[in-house]
Order: sequence, then C-alpha cells, then structure tokens
Amino acid sequence: MLLHIKNLKINYKSDNRPVEVVRGIDLDIDKGECVGLIGESGCGKTTAGLGITKLIPERKGNISAGEILFEGRDVLKLTSEELRCIRGKKISYVFQEPFSSLNPVFTIYEQMRESLEEKDNPDSRIAEILKSVGLEKIIDRKNIYPHELSGGMQQRAMIGMAIAPRPNLLVLDEPTTALDVTVQRQILDLIMELKNKMSLAILFISHDLRIVFNIADKVAIMYAGKIIECGPKEKIVSSPAHPYTIGLIDSIPSLKHRKKLFNAIGGRAPLFSELPEGCKFYPRCRFRIDKCSEKEPELKDVSGGQASRCIRTISAELRSATPIKWNY
Amino acid sequence: MYQNNQRGAALRYSNKMELLIIDNLRKGFKKHKVRAVDDVSFSVFKGEVLGLVGESGCGKSTLAKLVLRLLGADKGSIFYKGKDLFNISHNDMRKTRKDLQIIFQDPYASLDPRMKIGKVIEEVYDIYKNVSENNRKSKTIELLETVGLGETYLNRLPSELSGGERQRVGIARALATDPEFIICDEPVSSLDISVQAQILNLLIELQKRKNLTYLFISHDLGVIGSICDRVMVMQSGKLIESGSCENVFKNPQHQYTKTLLESALLR
Ligand SMILES: Nc1ncnc2c1ncn2[C@@H]1O[C@H](COP(=O)(O)OP(=O)(O)OP(=O)(O)O)[C@@H](O)[C@H]1O
Ligand SMILES: Nc1ncnc2c1ncn2[C@@H]1O[C@H](COP(=O)(O)OP(=O)(O)OP(=O)(O)O)[C@@H](O)[C@H]1O
Ligand code: SF4
Ligand SMILES: [Mg+2]
Ligand SMILES: [Mg+2]
Repeated sequence: MLLHIKNLKINYKSDNRPVEVVRGIDLDIDKGECVGLIGESGCGKTTAGLGITKLIPERKGNISAGEILFEGRDVLKLTSEELRCIRGKKISYVFQEPFSSLNPVFTIYEQMRESLEEKDNPDSRIAEILKSVGLEKIIDRKNIYPHELSGGMQQRAMIGMAIAPRPNLLVLDEPTTALDVTVQRQILDLIMELKNKMSLAILFISHDLRIVFNIADKVAIMYAGKIIECGPKEKIVSSPAHPYTIGLIDSIPSLKHRKKLFNAIGGRAPLFSELPEGCKFYPRCRFRIDKCSEKEPELKDVSGGQASRCIRTISAELRSATPIKWNY
Repeated sequence: MYQNNQRGAALRYSNKMELLIIDNLRKGFKKHKVRAVDDVSFSVFKGEVLGLVGESGCGKSTLAKLVLRLLGADKGSIFYKGKDLFNISHNDMRKTRKDLQIIFQDPYASLDPRMKIGKVIEEVYDIYKNVSENNRKSKTIELLETVGLGETYLNRLPSELSGGERQRVGIARALATDPEFIICDEPVSSLDISVQAQILNLLIELQKRKNLTYLFISHDLGVIGSICDRVMVMQSGKLIESGSCENVFKNPQHQYTKTLLESALLR
C-alpha cells in the first residue's frame, strides 16, 4: 500500500470556533492506482487532499486525529525537514486554482526548471513535458509569464510542473475544470499514460462524475466531511448503493434537455455549522425513513469491496418506485 | 466617419435593441506575436443569453476584458447602449460600469486576499451607492444566501473558502450592483452539478424577471445548451460560427464545432 489513511479528522478555526470539515475518513491508494474523490462544493475534498502532507497552515486549522502512512512512514510524525522532501517531490500537487499557485514574478520556464528532479540539460526535458500537456506553442517562448497564459493554459502548465519531478503520488485537485472537452480528453489521456508508464498513483479530486468515471479505478464519494460510499468504479457505476450517489448519477446533464438544468438531488448541502442529527443526507434524501435521523450510519460493506453509509438497502425496485422530485 | 458610427450605433440600440455592438475589434500581444482577438464583430441583443465557446487559449477571456475596458484594444470599437466605450464621458463610464458586470474565470485572482467576504460585496455599494445604509447588511446576506452561502461567511477571508465557494462569491459580487448585462466567464466550471443547477437556475430566473442580458463564456456545451438562446464559436481569435443553439448543435458547419460536439457526446 502506497498511501494508507485512517480516521483522518481536520478542523478549521473559523471565527475562532473550531469547525471539523474532514470528519474521519479512510482512504487507501496502491501504486499505479487512480482513486477518484467526488463530492459537492465545500464538502471537504481539497482539505482532505492537503491533509495528506500536512499542508493545512497551523493558524488556520489542524489535523486533530488519524493516521497517514506514506510508503510505510507515518506522515504525522515526520519533521518539517522530512516533510519538505516528500512534498512536491514524492507527492506532488496540482492545486484547484492554477493562478493561486503559479508564481507571478517568475517565467513559466523558470518555474518548470525549478521543479525538475535533475537539473542538467533541462531544455529538452521541459520541451518534452510542455509537449505532453499540449503547450508546444510556448516551448520557444522562455520569457512567458503566468498572467500571459489563458486560464486553461495555466492549468496545463501546473500539470506539467507537477509531473516534472516524477512523483510517486500525484494529487490532482479539479485539474481540468477550465478546459474544453477536447483538451480535457487530451489531459486525461496523458494522466492515464503516466499512470501506466510510471506506475504513478493518483488521487483525482473532482466534482464531475463523468470525468472521474472516465479515469478512476476506485471511487470515493464524500458528503459533509465523510466518505458516504466507496468501491471499485464499475460497481459504483452499475449499482450505486447510497442515495446521494444515485442522485449524482441521475443529475448528469445531457444535450437533450434544453433550457433546463436538473438537480436530481434537490436542496443544498448543509453548512458545517448546521449539520443535522443522524444521517447528514437525511433532509435531502428521497428514501429516508424516521429511523435515519436517529444516529449517523456507519460505512457498511455492500459487496465486492463496495461500502455505503446508509441504513437502507436501495434495490433497483425501490429506486424506480421512489420518484425523483425534479428540482430546477 | 466616427460621427456616423456613433449615430448608427445609437439607432441600432433604440430600434433593434442591440445592447452591445462590437465592431472589428482587434487585440494582439506583440511580445508573443499572438492575435488573441482578431477582427471580431457581433452584437448582443437586450434580454438574450448569448453563448461563447471555443478551445482553451482562443481569446474568450481577452474579448471579455476588452469589453470591460480592462484591456485596451488595438483597433475597432465597442458600443454599449449606443455609446462608444472608447470615447465616453467619465460620468457615462461610471454608469456603464454599474450596468455591465463580469464574473471572472479565476475567482482566486480576482478577490483581494486580505478583504473579508462581507466587505468584498459591500465595497460595491460604496462605489455605486445603490444600496441605502440600513439595507447593506441584509442585502449582503441575501446575496450570499442566493448563491448557497450564508451569514457565517461574512467574516471569512477568501483563503478560508473552498474553490467553489470563492466562485460563488464572485457571482454574488457581480449581482450586487443590480447589473443589466453580465459577462459570465466560466462562472460555474468548478461547481458540482447540484450547485451548478442552483446558480444557473438563479441566473435564468433573474434574467427572465429583470430582462437581463448575458454573454456566457463556457467550454461546457451541456451548460451552453441549457441556458443560451444563441451561440458563437471562436477559434484562434476569430469567430468561426454562430447561430441559434438548436441550429449549431444540430447542424454544425465548422470542423472544430463538430469535434467539440463529438467529444461532448462521447462522455
Ligand atoms: N481556512 C479556513 N477556515 C475556515 N473554514 C474553511 C477554511 N478553508 C476551508 N474552509 C471550509 O471548509 C469546508 C471544506 O472546504 P474544501 O476546500 O475542503 O472544500 P471542497 O470539497 O474542496 O470544495 P470545492 O469543490 O468548492 O473546492 C468549506 O465549507 C469551507 O468553507
Ligand atoms: N496579458 C497577456 N499577455 C500576453 N499574452 C496574453 C495575455 N493574456 C492572454 N494572452 C494570450 O492570448 C491568448 C488568448 O488568451 P485568453 O485568456 O483570451 O484565452 P481563453 O479563450 O479565455 O482561454 P481559456 O479557455 O483557457 O481560459 C492566449 O494565447 C494567451 O496566451
Ligand atoms: S440513512 Fe436514510 S436518510 Fe441517510 S441516505 Fe440512507 S436512506 Fe437516506
Ligand atoms: Mg476544493
Ligand atoms: Mg479564459
């Protein structure tokens, strides 16, 4: 096991009160495996990803419990010196907003060179990387700065910098949001190729089910700070067990619906300051029964590696007998 | 010549409701020898939702920045409500700035990292004086709630928000001036489907209720198809195709549009 996370909890200090936004998650990633982490905006995906290398600034929050083993070493016990050797080298990140992590005063070329694992003869390696992320246009433009690139080009430059040091684990946080489908395809293909060629392990964070279903081997779905369903992709696609996952799948848009956008789940994710009792999905769940609001369900095995945090068994019959309240 | 254009534009606004007229607009970045916007002409009619799609780096954001005068053009003209934006009195420009808002593509780059969320929005009232002293706080909370955030966000800094939450603050800020015309540059790209649906439905509802006009930039054809009346396709700085969504989606003329549609449907 390359990465093993057990019962990870992370707090933020918001208005000086601690708010727990990662409320105990377990996650395993093997060498050469791609795990997709999905969930609604604000549910804690980015925070969980940052937690892996203790990237939460101390004055903002802290990891309050849990265990993180990377290549067998306990990350939470490493010195800051040891952590620095892992971050950006063995574990590298593509952050959600590219502009926030590109340095505006250095050229793309300089930043690229900085992230290479071996410094001699950088030009040919940089050219190779730029080409693989579809930025061959800027290979000969060593004097180009981040603000001179479009949003999507910045995103690709970030991906290039993350793969440059040949990491073992790549954390991609919404890496293709600003890209049109043709470039998205190209980037996903590139990530797949790297995964296979370098047995790179990937944590792929996204809100877009379609993309995750395209690329991941295993999928974990997060809701209000916890994983509510996880398992092999094929299982989740063909027989989702948790009502929230079912809602996400039912919401995938298509060109067939004109002038409408569907939200098959309905309602909104709860704020962390106002989480309901019992099952956190209760207020929005179309399969809820009274018992659901008593206590928060445990993550229970369904079958063949798939697990779900729901007290009911949502069979295909029950699913088709319970109407969706289309909310648009 | 100039007089004619100005008068023509004023007539086109009053007779045909051409709210925004873009005429032969060009912008190059000399250092890198790219022509990001290459002789582009089009009109946006009052009350319509006009989509703009095109591959990454084709010039969509540059076009948006030119319209807002965040960048200077090399050539061409822009008329808003019949007024030449390159030749406009200070006072008129102020009014135009209030009417004409943008939701930026990269929320992180467009929010001041030291400014609390409540302030980000209230700053707008300071500039445009469109909200009375008593209503400031309640209006701010209402705006935050419409984008799915609440009062608890007032005192937070941008860095204390998730990516999608920052994007929603950008939307709330754009709505704070009660604009007539909003340029939305990938406004929902980092939001999940349920929040996307909420926000797009909010934008559609506002558009219908207040007869707003949108120029909607997106790479997601599903989103474009579900909210736009017309769509334009851009490639390498040029507009290569435009028409009603139905026509363009059913009957794409240009190879790039076809590829875009094919890869969208493949998923
Ligand atoms: N520094 C902070 N202080 C207080 N709260 C924070 C801080 N950073 C994030 N949060 C809150 O923690 C929650 C989780 O944030 P996170 O960035 O992990 O979400 P996410 O799942 O990545 O969402 P998105 O898809 O919108 O990026 C959000 O509700 C956010 O408001
Ligand atoms: N300030 C600048 N200086 C130099 N070149 C620039 C500048 N801003 C943009 N460009 C270049 O202009 C072209 C168009 O960029 P623009 O940001 O308009 O693209 P876009 O269509 O919005 O792409 P995306 O979908 O990736 O956001 C790109 O080649 C970009 O590198
Ligand atoms: S436990 Fe009950 S409320 Fe929660 S997801 Fe399952 S059925 Fe719905
Ligand atoms: Mg995030
Ligand atoms: Mg752009």
